[in-house]
Amino acid sequence: MATDVDRRRDFEATLTRAAEGRVEEAGAAIQRASLLRDAIHRFSRNRASVVAAFAFVMMVGFVYITPWADSASPYNVDFSKAYLPLSWAHPFGTDEFGRDLLVRTALGGRVSVQIGFAATIAIMVVGITYGAVSGFAGGWIDNAMMRFLDALYGLPYLPFAIITLAIFGTVNFWTMVVALTVASWFTTARVMRGQIITLKENDYVRAATALGARWYRILFRHLLPNTLGVIIVFVFLELPGVVLGEAFLSFLGLGINPPKASWGTLAQDGYNSYQEHPYIIVIPSLAIAWLILSAFFIADGLRDALDPRTRAKF
Amino acid sequence: MLKFVVRRFVWTIPVILLVVFFTFAMMRQIKGNPFQVTERAVPESIQRNLDRKFHLDKPWYTQYYYYVKGVFTFDLGPSLVQRNQTVNDIIKEHFPVSLRLGMLAMAWALLLGVPLGLLSALKQNSITDYLTMAFVNSGSAIPNFLVSTLLIYFFAVKWRGTFHLPTNGWDNSIGGWKTWILPAIALGHAPMTIFARIVRGSVLETVQQDYIRTAKAKGLRWRRVVGLHVLRNSLIPAVTAAAPLLGFLITGSFIVEFIFGIPGIGRYFVISVTGRDYSVTMGITVMLSAIIIVANMVVDILYGFLDPRTRDART
Repeated sequence: MATDVDRRRDFEATLTRAAEGRVEEAGAAIQRASLLRDAIHRFSRNRASVVAAFAFVMMVGFVYITPWADSASPYNVDFSKAYLPLSWAHPFGTDEFGRDLLVRTALGGRVSVQIGFAATIAIMVVGITYGAVSGFAGGWIDNAMMRFLDALYGLPYLPFAIITLAIFGTVNFWTMVVALTVASWFTTARVMRGQIITLKENDYVRAATALGARWYRILFRHLLPNTLGVIIVFVFLELPGVVLGEAFLSFLGLGINPPKASWGTLAQDGYNSYQEHPYIIVIPSLAIAWLILSAFFIADGLRDALDPRTRAKF
Repeated sequence: MLKFVVRRFVWTIPVILLVVFFTFAMMRQIKGNPFQVTERAVPESIQRNLDRKFHLDKPWYTQYYYYVKGVFTFDLGPSLVQRNQTVNDIIKEHFPVSLRLGMLAMAWALLLGVPLGLLSALKQNSITDYLTMAFVNSGSAIPNFLVSTLLIYFFAVKWRGTFHLPTNGWDNSIGGWKTWILPAIALGHAPMTIFARIVRGSVLETVQQDYIRTAKAKGLRWRRVVGLHVLRNSLIPAVTAAAPLLGFLITGSFIVEFIFGIPGIGRYFVISVTGRDYSVTMGITVMLSAIIIVANMVVDILYGFLDPRTRDART
């Protein structure tokens, strides 16, 4: 997404800086337990990130607990209750069919969050595999794979997502996940390759090779575990883009079919009656903003916590 | 240097070929025949003739060959649904709208984003800084469709008497400038927050440089230091971010065009997909991708001029 391009680029830049630093002191002993405890400590001292983490958990909790705790039905049509304003019985009001919007927002959020997480995991799997293979193989394979990536890099992802949905012919959870993954894994692959390449230069990897370790042991024991921190940060950088992408597609009428809903379809419903009932579009949109913003601040905090050298200046 | 430019330029050709192939392969997977969307059955013989005319009876590699030939001669073929229009006609009709919208959005993003970033950096850790950054950060997370809808709700509906702005529509002639304002602000909102953050970060970095201290030490007025040294040097990262963003803006206005009913390329893309107008869908995708690829090339070459170290690293 356009909104997080700079964050990702910034993160990529700080990563390179950190990697350069790391190569310099490669071989320095790292005590894993204290490193993790250090990271948690640093994260918990970053007030914005702690608040963001709390907000993130709250939103996920809201999405999962509300439909179960609230007795109002998300699908029952009752025209006598259409467009009720915000009240105690219906904190978010009702829509044109008299359906309670609190429950619908929560259920829609469940769809959005699940698609978001599934697509993020898919992006991670594809990106990490591609990047790791490219970086680990090196030589002409690496060269060819990176050239291919360069070619696809920066392509507008919405057209390709829309074409993917058209290929499937139906829109459901999994086709949506695939559509959102198709053109979104390039950054992850690139960063992953960079990480593997710099980690490969470390003395402990040379030592392992010298001791006769097989390639898979080096890859799975020494290289991939060391990229975990970067991967976790990237999960929180990719999630917002995917959630927003799903919302855009749903808003354009290309998303999950009614009566099921996601935040995007709820926003589209709201858009159709924005002149009389503006709150209907505002609520799901703010829910999206809430999730995206908390994910960004978590990512910022994690980045700083996992490597103090990368601490951003702003 | 010339070698670098040529190499970088030649490199875009296989890239475009690859993207065309990618799109072509994807489009072939879509089920359904464009000529059978209507209820009327097409007679067998006419169907055969249509297939022959559009090379649909040939194997895929022949179709690909014809298509690639078309792309490099700037002939993207006829529309399969609107029989009297070619894809070029459609692009010619709708792209200028998206282009103008993108440019205006970029102008808005720069005009508001750069001063906001500068202001918040020069008053670092003040209440102004916090308020500006709160506005920028929250703004970056709000989806486009809410920004658009709120703009319409307030400026075109609620305060119509004051602003006299239309709720939707687009008039591409100069007299229609009133229809441009709200869509441009809506589309430029997200890039504005990006510019504000980038400029803030790079100003904070620049003011610590030695030459700024020198300028201050030799008695230059602070306002002049900011205008002459700080701003100019901190705009470089913003400019490098601007080029790829421009690609996004020209191509990524699906939502804004949808909400404001703007006859731009993004809106037409969605129509072409649902109408199974393959050649138009492909043509638009290829064109948008080509724009971004060329933009990337221009940025790389500019980088090469600004920073000689990158010349060998990238081809």
